[in-house]
This record gives sequence, structure tokens and C-alpha cells, in this order.
Amino acid sequence: MKTPSIGTLSFGMVGVFAALLLAIGAPNSRVAPPPAAPTAPPPPSVSARGFSLASTSVDLPTDEGQYPDGPHADVINANCTSCHSASMALNQPPLSADQWTAEVTKMREVYKAPVAAADVPAIVAYLTAMSAEQPGAAKGKAQDPDPKAAPDVSGGSG
Amino acid sequence: MKLAQATNRRRFLAEAAIGSGALIAAPALAQSMVDLHLPGGPSERPMTSAFPGKGNMILQRIHPPLLETPMSVFNGDVFTPNDQFFVRWHWADIPTAIDVEAFRIKVHGAVTRPLSISLAQLLKLPRVELAAINQCSGNSRALFQPPVAGAQWRHGAMGNAKWLGVRLRDVLDIAGVKPGAVAVRFGALDQPVVAGGPDFAKSLSIDHARDGEVMLAFGMNGEQMPLLNGFPVRLIVPGWYSTYWVKMLNDIEVLAAPDDGYWMAKAYKIPDTPGANVRPGQKDFPTVPINRMIPRSWVTSLDEGQTIAFDRSIPLGGIAMGGDCGVAKVGVSTDNGKTWYKTVLGPDHGKYSFRRWDAQVPLTHAGPTRLMSRCWNTAGIAQPMTPIWNPGGFMRGNIETTNIVVG
Repeated sequence: MKTPSIGTLSFGMVGVFAALLLAIGAPNSRVAPPPAAPTAPPPPSVSARGFSLASTSVDLPTDEGQYPDGPHADVINANCTSCHSASMALNQPPLSADQWTAEVTKMREVYKAPVAAADVPAIVAYLTAMSAEQPGAAKGKAQDPDPKAAPDVSGGSG
Repeated sequence: MKLAQATNRRRFLAEAAIGSGALIAAPALAQSMVDLHLPGGPSERPMTSAFPGKGNMILQRIHPPLLETPMSVFNGDVFTPNDQFFVRWHWADIPTAIDVEAFRIKVHGAVTRPLSISLAQLLKLPRVELAAINQCSGNSRALFQPPVAGAQWRHGAMGNAKWLGVRLRDVLDIAGVKPGAVAVRFGALDQPVVAGGPDFAKSLSIDHARDGEVMLAFGMNGEQMPLLNGFPVRLIVPGWYSTYWVKMLNDIEVLAAPDDGYWMAKAYKIPDTPGANVRPGQKDFPTVPINRMIPRSWVTSLDEGQTIAFDRSIPLGGIAMGGDCGVAKVGVSTDNGKTWYKTVLGPDHGKYSFRRWDAQVPLTHAGPTRLMSRCWNTAGIAQPMTPIWNPGGFMRGNIETTNIVVG
């Protein structure tokens, strides 16, 4: 870690702060630059003190993947492919119907997925049947959260 | 009824990959399959190099991206290459273009002087560089037994980099934190894809935010960071789990009251118990936001499932981390934890960095052999033998086993 000494730093900081206070100003007080031309290599960059940052534009892969055929595949494909890839569900360990209900409930109530209540039983049935076909389904049963409990008690994410 | 058997799932993913690859005129998304040796669920994943700024990665999810670093990468330099650093996004609305001249970081809330900081201005502030591990709260979740729902990572949801940037404290001091401020919340450019979904934001206590270690990084291993790792600026919270390392940081809000938002109050919570451990299925335990990391270590010189020739002694190597402090020592065992041998630690890049370890250790017999490593951190905390369990699959830190076959 390359760190200036406290003395150097505090002395330097006074000047830097003073300059920045003048330069930064309040939010929205600066005029936005005109949009970059659509094809303009090299990309715009900003640099200071030996480090540069260049504008970046990327293409992210899209996912055309669908849930494999099975009862209610049409329902889960219609509801559960826009926010996340199907692989997110397909890669889960075997989960019980109650656990899948808790997951679908969390998606609807916490993450506001526009899934009709009437579609939930079919989605849970599809996922539960998928879990039941996994080799580890019998032995690898996870905890059984109360499906009626708050959907986010398990902490979520990561 | 025929649903997603393993073979179907494999075929399904390969087809998905080909379709996606064609759409973006990139190499086929799945170039091969890899077995993560997961105990609880589907164990195979595609390998892909179809993501921008990324080399060969384990594909956990295309949309929004979850990309895991292959274990072999950690046997190289202790600094993880930018193009193989893991990727994790919550919401799928990720900006795909950043204009460095237009980008601003807003500083507002309980401050005397609200700011809108350009990158040109940020680059002029006093700099710090710090080596630090960025590890997902749910790293190694797929090894939890009984299994838990969530991203099914093996060990590769982590990476170590030299972060170059400015102290958050300096930025807050320019804005002038008002008396009574208790926390600082960090927001980013990525957005929920559905109306009303909770926008991702995390917060730190005001004292933590001003500790002089938390930084706004624009450099990663000497370069600007890949967009998928948070270009142009991400928060670095040394010693704490990655959930706080907000990517594409563009909003810093000083709060006069604790953050009661979803991502602090509900998500990423761990049991408020020793080691974040509860009995499988246990309910009604108190929780706290996940926070400091704990010591971990891995054998990286041999892969899970690898076969080697018998020798009286073999070289073993790997990496260790102290968590929220440095690595004091690492022990290694080739006999299922009965006998432990000393290791030699590699160069010290700072207490928040990976530390290489190496040893020459005896083999006593041919056949299946369980290799283990154990890290003690500088606070005297050693990795436990027994895994923890919690419903979020967070904070795994027990001694890990690499199973090899001695021929």
C-alpha cells in the first residue's frame, strides 16, 4: 500500500480540498456533455496523475434458455425467464414444495415479480417435480421454512 | 413425465448457450462443461468466455451474470487477473455503456455541501492503493449440508486485487458530514427490472465509512476495472464481504437514521450466533447484517478428484486469507486432519490480501487421500473443522478438503 505520510497528506489535502470545493460545486450545476457520436474511436477518456479511464460500451450475452418440457413448463417459461435465467432455478439443490413456495413467494412479494397468484401452484409444481427427479432428492433435503412466514426470513441473496 | 434430468439439463444449457452466442456474434457461450463436485444438487456448469472483459469463467447464470472463477486461477499469482475475477449482479438492468465524461458520483443527505463529483475530479484526489480480497457472502454455498437455496457457488466467488482509488473519508470530508449522521448508504447505476423492486443499496456506519480504509476504487490491478466488476468506480470495504463493495457506485447518501432499506434490514442477514451457525431448520434466531470476513484457506496446487503418483513426500501449495486481519500461519494435512504440517508463507501483500503458502508433506499410503489446510489469522482465530449451517448459506469458513487419489 503506497500511502503518503500523514504530514504530506494533511498539507496536500488542504489545497486539494480548496480546489475541489470550487471545482465540484453542487449537484446538477454542471452542463452535461453532448452525447458521444455513435462511432467514434478512440473512446473519450479522462486522466489525471498518471491514470486514465476510458468510456466503455459492451454487449452482454442474452439468454434464450427455456425450462425443459414437463407439466406446466409453459407457465414457468411465461413467468420466470425475464428477471433471471432459467438456470438459476435449474441449478438449485433439491427443494421441497414448501421451499419452492417460499422462493416463488419471495420473488413475488419482495422482488415484485409480476407473477399472477393463480400461476403460483403450477410454477411450484413444476419446480418440485424437477427437484424430485434429482439424484440427491431423497437425502439432500434442506430446511423446511414455513411457507406462511415472511418470505425474506432466510436472508436471501449472495 | 420427463423433466430436467441431469442429461436434459446439460443439453438444455448447451442449446441455450449456442442460441445466445449466435445472438451476440461471440464465441459459443458454453465451450465445455466443468464438474464442481457439489454434494447437493446439479454439479456441472458450462465454461464460457463470452462475457465482455472476461476470460474463461464458470457460468453460473447468464442473466443477470453470475460468473465464478475456476480454482486453478488461484494457484497462479495471489492477485486474481481482472479477466477472471468473479462477477455477481442482483438485477438485470445493468448499464452497458459508461461515458467517463458524463459520469458523476452524487454525495448528498446529511452533508453541509452536496457534491456531484466527476471522474476527472476524483482522479485528482489523494490516492491510496490497497490489496484486498473481495469475497461473496455466499461463497461456497453449494457445499452447505443440508443444501440451501441461492446461487450455488463452489469456492470461486472471490478474488484478490490491488485497488487504486481515494479514501471515502476524504470525499465525505469535502462534503462535510453533519453532526448526528449515523450511516452512509451507497447506491449504483444498476436498477430493478420490475417496478417497485428494491433497488440495490448497502450502507456502512458513519465511523466505518470514515475509517480511512474504505475507498472508492477506479483502478484494479493497475487498470480500469471490467464493466462487469463495477466500472468506473466501486466501493472497497477491506475485510468485509462483497455485498458492501457496491459496483458502478454513483450515489453516496449520508443518513441521519439507520438504513431500514431491504438490502440492509432484510437481505444478507446472518444469525447473531457464534460463527453465524444455527441448527439446520432452526427458526426464530436473532439476525444481524453480515459483516467481517473470517479466516479461510484452500489447497490450489492439486484439483479436486485429481490422481497423482505415489511419492514419499509431495509439494503442496495454496492460498489463505485472515478475513478482517492478516494470516498468521497455515497448517496442512494429508491424513484427514490427524497430522498437521507447517507451511511456508509467501510474500505479505497486506492483511486484506491472499497469502500464498507452500509445503513439502509426506504421503503415508496410496488410494483416496484427503488434503486439508488450516489458517490461523493474526487475531488467533483458526478455521474450525466442522462446517456451520445457516439458511442463507453465508460465511462458510471451515477447513476445506481436497480429495485426491494417490496411484
